[in-house]
Amino acid sequence: MTFIDLIRKNLFRKKLRTILTVIAIFVAFLIFGVLATFQNALNAGVEVAGADRLITTNRINFTLPMPIAYATRTASVSGVSRVAHAEWFGGYYQETRNFLVAFAIDPQNYLDIYREYLMPPAQRETFLRDKTSILVGKAVADQYGWKVGDRLPLKSNIYRQKNGSDTWDFTIAGIVSGDDARVDTNLVMFHYAYLADTRSFGDGTTGWMILKTTDAKENARVMREVDALFANSAFETETKTEQAFNKAFAEQLGDLGFIVTAVVGAAFVTILLIVGNTMMLTVRERTGEIAVMKTIGFTTKRIFALVIGESMLLAVFGGVLGIAMAWLASLALASAMSRFGPFAFSFDTALFAFALMALLGLFTGLLPALRAMNTDVVTALGRK
Amino acid sequence: MNRLFTQIAAVTMMNLRSLPQRLWTSLATVVAIALVTGVLLAFLAMAHGFQATVAGTGAPDVAVVVRKGSESEINSILSREQVLLMQQAPGIAKAADGKPLMSAELYVIVDGLKKSSGTKANLPLRGLGPLAGDVRRGVRISAGRMFRPGTAELVVGRSVSKQFRGFELGQKIRLASQNWVVVGEFDAGGTVFESEIWADVALLQGLFQRGSTVQTMRLRMDGPQALAGLRAYSDGDPRLKLDIKSEVDYYARQSRSIGDLILYLGWPLAIAMSFGALAGALNTMFASVDARTREIATMRAIGFRGLPAFIGTMVESLLLAAAGGIVGAIGTYLLFDGLSAATLGSNFTQVVFSLQLSSDLVLQGLILALVIGVAGGVFPAWRAARVPLLAAFKEQ
Repeated sequence: MTFIDLIRKNLFRKKLRTILTVIAIFVAFLIFGVLATFQNALNAGVEVAGADRLITTNRINFTLPMPIAYATRTASVSGVSRVAHAEWFGGYYQETRNFLVAFAIDPQNYLDIYREYLMPPAQRETFLRDKTSILVGKAVADQYGWKVGDRLPLKSNIYRQKNGSDTWDFTIAGIVSGDDARVDTNLVMFHYAYLADTRSFGDGTTGWMILKTTDAKENARVMREVDALFANSAFETETKTEQAFNKAFAEQLGDLGFIVTAVVGAAFVTILLIVGNTMMLTVRERTGEIAVMKTIGFTTKRIFALVIGESMLLAVFGGVLGIAMAWLASLALASAMSRFGPFAFSFDTALFAFALMALLGLFTGLLPALRAMNTDVVTALGRK
Repeated sequence: MNRLFTQIAAVTMMNLRSLPQRLWTSLATVVAIALVTGVLLAFLAMAHGFQATVAGTGAPDVAVVVRKGSESEINSILSREQVLLMQQAPGIAKAADGKPLMSAELYVIVDGLKKSSGTKANLPLRGLGPLAGDVRRGVRISAGRMFRPGTAELVVGRSVSKQFRGFELGQKIRLASQNWVVVGEFDAGGTVFESEIWADVALLQGLFQRGSTVQTMRLRMDGPQALAGLRAYSDGDPRLKLDIKSEVDYYARQSRSIGDLILYLGWPLAIAMSFGALAGALNTMFASVDARTREIATMRAIGFRGLPAFIGTMVESLLLAAAGGIVGAIGTYLLFDGLSAATLGSNFTQVVFSLQLSSDLVLQGLILALVIGVAGGVFPAWRAARVPLLAAFKEQ
């Protein structure tokens, strides 16, 4: 019987107890996996933000408009290689609860800057050519079952058409996917010109601009110069890196990072107690046989390894099951959670989970292992 | 029957007296259950606090008028003509001088610096007309005074100065390309209004290039029953494509989405964690029964029945669970009750609220703890009740 066999046999001596302990570990890792994925979804915007991309908004607040003419003037600032603009449409499909992230964009420039949006070249061509067409993100298309070529009537909770209608009719030109699982495809994009020509108010304004700089090193200077350009006008601007903008945006929701950390922390303190307690119980029950093992020549090191090995095996067994379940759960929840961002289980989360398993195994095994190691043969056998 | 009770009492006491022998494992169970209860209660307190703030806003006899389809004030726009037409609607209460009690308001978003994170967040800046105070009852200036119409003065809700930097009384602040002075702070009974900044509507119309348009109207009605008349009046005029709701109804709708979201996160998390704590409780209780096998068997041998052993174990388990539940509830109360938090509400602006525990919520937490106690006790108790007599003679 090898050393590993011995650990395995020990582990399953009290089957019910082991199974219960594994369940506790499983639950903690499941919670960790799902919440880490949730947090990644919220932070995805910060992570995929381009280092050479800046966002210029109205200085008062990013929900307020700015003149469309700003785009041309900004493009002439040195260090700016491309400028696109976009506007929030407040769109929904049929009913207000089917709320959509809908942007009216400056098509060519926008798609040139956001290279992470992928679609077949033919679809891209169709979109650029047809002013009343719309690009639909994969997450949205999946949710509603929309296909290329479908007619798509959208309403706005902000705008009205000049003719009094509250509905804009679009044709789906393409389905957009991301070049990375973290790219958020929960959005639809259409031609700014279509909105500008038909809406009853908002003439000559757009929402914000996206600037691509020639080099990220130029960012600070470009930000200063662009804002200086529009200082003391009726529409002052504020330019930030895309990353800083997305971070501030995510933080508006509240300190979700703290909530996630607190819950995961509580779950892990719980299993630390439960598993540590179980291991202690186990070692206490085996005092006699540990003494025997020592007598027949097991070194204290081996005894130590035997107990730590058992707690490690427990942690890894429960942990791997929990993480596997979290991965499955993230697949199942992806579409329901898409409004928070791309809900994709990441490799980093799995890596971090393995580190947690190792720590858990170590901490829960340490005290019992020391106790086993220090078992006094004479007293232990005598007590029996 | 009487004897059975004596037996039950005796065995239960023995169980409980032996608890100190299993101090650490019992404590681990108590802490695990306390953490589960604590997590559940923290989420419930968050949902409850948010809902109490938002759903507690508004009066039943005040009507909120927005453009049809805009859902919230921030997306709405009303022309001067629409405002004038609505003033003539039936069922609007009148001031002493005969003027209809109505307030045409602007609702724009400005940046505030959150004290907690140091980042900018959306704050609502509301432009109010002269009659706003008569339309909205239940708001009073708690410090300083009201702004004077036509001047760059602000009054802020109590929550704003609590959560955001630079809004203390007397402070100068730059908002919307304009220097302002904070001249007053108002108390709105813990409602959403306390997360708002108020200023003169005419001044804001100029600053935000709104001409004579406003975003929303509030009308004080003769009574809640006047709402139907207002709607009929608006529907009958093609120039008025408006959504009219009572203020209570308007805010009740807004409270649902986020309040529900917090509940949908809190319950599944707490239930998942319960399974972990349950596993721990079962381990502890099985160990407890194992440790007392000889004792239980001996008692069976001298004529005790199985039921007392069952009940004794159940009581031990329930007691540990109840202790966990109570510790969890007290911990949540000390750490989180009254804690001020802010999140993005339906108007795309920050809503400041406090976490609120209530006896009803604590009860839900204790029930969850006791359910863990019952489930964690019943199988070990069953084993205890069926300990064979022979176990009394087994070596331990």
